[in-house]
Amino acid sequence: MTAKMEASAGAISENTLMIYGIVVALVGTYLTYLNVVTGMAVFSFFGGIGAIAAIWWGSDTIKHLCSYGLGTGVPSAGMVAFGAGAIAMIAGTKFGMASPIVTLILAAIIGAVIGYIANNVINMNIPVMIFSLMKLSIVGALTMLGFAAMCTGTFMFNGLVIGGMTLSMEPAGEAAAGGAQTFMVTVLPEFAGSLIGGSALAVIFFLGAMALQHPFNACLGPNESQDRTLMLAIEVGFLSMFVVAVMSYAFLDMMAATVGLIISLIGWFYSYKQYIALSKRDAYAWLDAKPIIEVGGHE
Amino acid sequence: MSALGGKAAGGEGINPTGSVVGIVILLVSIAATYALGFSIVPLIGIIIGGALIGFGVHFVPVGGAPAAMGQAPGIATGVAMLAAGAGLAGLFGGAWAYEATGDFAVAVAGGAVGGGLMMAITCLMVNATYVFAMGIPAASGKIAKDPITGDTFPEYKSQGTEGHGLPFISFFGGVVGGFIAGLGGTLIYIELLDVYHAGLPAIMQANPEAIEPLAVSLAGIFAIGFFLVNAVLAAYNITGTIEGPHDPKFKRVPRAVIGCAVASAFCGLISMLIVLNTGM
Repeated sequence: MTAKMEASAGAISENTLMIYGIVVALVGTYLTYLNVVTGMAVFSFFGGIGAIAAIWWGSDTIKHLCSYGLGTGVPSAGMVAFGAGAIAMIAGTKFGMASPIVTLILAAIIGAVIGYIANNVINMNIPVMIFSLMKLSIVGALTMLGFAAMCTGTFMFNGLVIGGMTLSMEPAGEAAAGGAQTFMVTVLPEFAGSLIGGSALAVIFFLGAMALQHPFNACLGPNESQDRTLMLAIEVGFLSMFVVAVMSYAFLDMMAATVGLIISLIGWFYSYKQYIALSKRDAYAWLDAKPIIEVGGHE
Repeated sequence: MSALGGKAAGGEGINPTGSVVGIVILLVSIAATYALGFSIVPLIGIIIGGALIGFGVHFVPVGGAPAAMGQAPGIATGVAMLAAGAGLAGLFGGAWAYEATGDFAVAVAGGAVGGGLMMAITCLMVNATYVFAMGIPAASGKIAKDPITGDTFPEYKSQGTEGHGLPFISFFGGVVGGFIAGLGGTLIYIELLDVYHAGLPAIMQANPEAIEPLAVSLAGIFAIGFFLVNAVLAAYNITGTIEGPHDPKFKRVPRAVIGCAVASAFCGLISMLIVLNTGM
């Protein structure tokens, strides 16, 4: 477990990545509010784009943290990011329009506390520990918020807990846009059919955690290069987004969910081709696999 | 920028300043919970649960990649994965028991047995794989004699390894660790569930029966989050591999208990903000 991991010097600096990651994630999440403005749910996919931006930035942060040799493997960093991020994200959605910003601030505070504990109480003594765990918690929280917004069409608490889950193919635009289905006053809302009430959020939790921990875990090694790792992050991000798009059929109308599905498929296809091209660039030699030639019985 | 820094220091002993600041954070979290008008009993339960998870994880024999190659004793995966497996199994067991009986003691015991059972099955199958598939005997490299069975190890240990397989003391540690971690995870879940049962109907303006699935889901997702945070903090304390309660690294356990208690206190405070009436 003490294999030497080196962080490659990348063309994009860590701070630039952080700024792009946070801005795109926040803007993407806020763009899902267009659902409410226009009354259509087709803008939900912006949440997924925001989540991918967060994952893209987070995979670089994980690289810097794990190059110190935590001894626990790369996935543990992804797990702690989403453990802290889930707490911040659910608490943050309570704040209406300010939810994405409050989620970011809450995640930063939780990350700082956990980082301080890891660094000073548990004596890890890693210089970047506190700041890295702060960033990773933000990544976890924004990824979950983005995917949740893509799945349900809203980033507010009421929309996430009051049931919009329907498998009928009727337009559920109002449910997606307003975040709540219209009920008679006496009829109780269907909490069990919502993203959180139906525990669909747990799926998003692990979809995001896998997408965050995988890129550096797969690419680490002596000739790890930043653009390849980041391209893999985008590729797994789109793969997770695809699953979220499939989940969103239960919450959104047919067209909105299909738009998300098509965008994630196109994005995945493009980033996968790019990643293969970068892998071929970095490889010493690229030998296409062929079936083993059978020489025959007695020759 | 390549080869940033060196190996993590991860020194022995307790850092006094850090621990004092940590305990201050814990007390401030409790005080803030009280000031916001919540009962502090659930938070105390959450803190105890978190500390139990941190404590329990240290019993689990984690071998990592060297164990997969038969060069170190333990289960061949990382701490976070094992702890998540045992803890979530315990959590599901406990949650089910709470749903079925509504009795606190039965539910906590159910969670503990669920976690312990999961680890017992894992350890058994790991040893079956080691002995019958890889053909290696169980031998610890850290001690000469098993403290429970009295089996001796040096004559079975291959040269150039730190031991291999899963000796009885490690198996025992795994079951105890799963038991304690499952108990801690279930405790956190039940405390959170009680908070949400009491608080959610008021803020959502719904009756308690309708809110039931939401309370269960919220408590469950938060409990998973708490569990992973605590398990990874314990993993950072172990820095990689541990053989079980007989390993010298086990002496580091007080740090993890303090750390997990502080982290649970703070995260517990945040998770209670859900039922705070913010007027939005």
